[in-house]
Amino acid sequence: MENGLSSPIQKISTLTEDATKRKKEEVFGWWGPSPEEARKTMVGKSKGLRDKRTTIKEAVGRYIKDGANIAIGGFVNTRPPVAIVHEIIRKGAKDLTLSFQSNSICPELLAGAMLLYPDHLSIRRAELAWWGYEVIGIAPLFRYLCNNGLIELDDYTNYGMSARFKAAAMGIEFLPVRDHGGSDMELVNRGIMVRSPFTGSSSYLVPACYPDVGILNVTAADMYGNCRIFGAHCTCPEIAMAACHTIVTAEQIIPNENIRTYPNLTEIPYTAVDAVIEQRFASYPGACYGFYWFDMEHILMFRSASEEFRKTGKRDALKKYYDEFIFGCETHDDFLSKLPYKTLKKIKDLDGGQPIILS
Amino acid sequence: MPEYTPFEMIAYTGSRVLEDETIVFVGTGLPIIASIHAQLTHAPGLGIIFEAGPLTPILEMGMPLSVGDTRACRKACYLKGLSSVFELTQRGHSDYAFIGGAQIDMYGNVNSTFEGGTYTRAQTRFPGSGGAGAMAANCEKSIIIMALEPRRFVPQLDFVTSIGFGDGSPDYRKKSGVMGSGPYRVITNEALFGFDEETKRMVLLEAAKGRTPEDIQKKVSFDLLVSPDLKEMAEPSEEDLRLLREECDPDGYFLARKLK
Repeated sequence: MENGLSSPIQKISTLTEDATKRKKEEVFGWWGPSPEEARKTMVGKSKGLRDKRTTIKEAVGRYIKDGANIAIGGFVNTRPPVAIVHEIIRKGAKDLTLSFQSNSICPELLAGAMLLYPDHLSIRRAELAWWGYEVIGIAPLFRYLCNNGLIELDDYTNYGMSARFKAAAMGIEFLPVRDHGGSDMELVNRGIMVRSPFTGSSSYLVPACYPDVGILNVTAADMYGNCRIFGAHCTCPEIAMAACHTIVTAEQIIPNENIRTYPNLTEIPYTAVDAVIEQRFASYPGACYGFYWFDMEHILMFRSASEEFRKTGKRDALKKYYDEFIFGCETHDDFLSKLPYKTLKKIKDLDGGQPIILS
Repeated sequence: MPEYTPFEMIAYTGSRVLEDETIVFVGTGLPIIASIHAQLTHAPGLGIIFEAGPLTPILEMGMPLSVGDTRACRKACYLKGLSSVFELTQRGHSDYAFIGGAQIDMYGNVNSTFEGGTYTRAQTRFPGSGGAGAMAANCEKSIIIMALEPRRFVPQLDFVTSIGFGDGSPDYRKKSGVMGSGPYRVITNEALFGFDEETKRMVLLEAAKGRTPEDIQKKVSFDLLVSPDLKEMAEPSEEDLRLLREECDPDGYFLARKLK
């Protein structure tokens, strides 16, 4: 395949040299494990049906290391792995790479921890498609990080990021996709335009994304890590199978017998999962189909503290949020205990009893 | 005629543009409202794709507040994840991309990545492409909502996030490896635009009642073409407004906002 091909994007691009320098000058390197390293990790694991139930603290302590590439599951406010992110913040980790398609509160919480306590937690870079709150507004801390040049970015589309995880789930190095070409993402991200070896037509290749750790919340799992996901799958199955290690919270643990009765319902096989934790409301204040809707009020509270920090530099409200809801808690249940019963009832009612199959 | 807001006009116009028996891949906000309105009126056979995974849901729990809202999955015909729905667009299953953005140029390229400063140190960083770049590439036709302001209709974008016709050359999209035919309509509350087949430039197709092409040109920072068949924009009827306010967005999440 011929490299260095380009669409005519140069004719309309107004990007300055700082934007295109990385792609022009840097030799490609994985922002996480290589395909060979990821395969080696998988090959080295015991494939027995082991009871993988543990605590979030134990799982985060074991798998989240400085410099790790952490893939965040869910999509915007749907099934974000908030309980795991809280524990990552409590533990602390430096020089993280975050990988996700679209997310809201999870990367914002990590960004806030970095801005308040840079010696405790830091994000070096993010490979992503979208970081915001949709109806609730832009993500203030993301904007702050960008405005101050505190984070390196690699921009793709939602499909691009999904295809990158999918490529890693397939054990390959890249996938050809039909987007990014002809946009400025072609000039800044780490994909490349090539000529198809079959017809000579333009084809954009995105590099696989093999994270060190995938963090997910799913509908249900058995103790071995076989997962069911109802509602949108987002890119969770791909992330679980792309990552070297995957930590899964499940709203409910179900018997292995149920999994075996309907094996077609298993979206993630046990071999792709390293740690399983039964955790109710593990995505709160995000939503989990079949259990609860997102809590707009709580997200607004955190977002307004973030916005105040961005606009005025005042840390008080933001710090208060972390002190009360993250550092002031040992576990996610401690966090949930701070919420009024009426809040949990409301978001459960707002889900409307979306149908899920646990049997 | 009844009174209506700019957002109601945009949603109504978006609805008019969508044809029955097609599939629209929607972004958050007004595209969802426009699609629901179309389903309730002239396009009962319109299917909707939300990028988190569902194809053709029945939105009986109310308007999804975002494309990732769990309500968007309700009674869908097919529900997987992002890879599946975007692969449907590559294969030709989606007739329309319905997106928004911060800036647009005369060839329908759209910026939703940043404004001001540079890519590595953006003055105002937006959330990013999300699905928009992929939708504009591979849904068959792109419909773009934009506020009609000179700072948004610009000669050059700070960042090309969603591909339009590029520089207007006939093979721009083919050389870029994308599958869709490109920009189709640009919707504002005061004007509806299309694109000239030859030059690929933006064409004024319809202007709101009482607005001349000159009025519209004043709000656009590049030279507009004007259709020889220029029409007046249709206005929503009382029944359309009732549907928008009571059925589509009863809590006013998107329609009751004030234009900045």
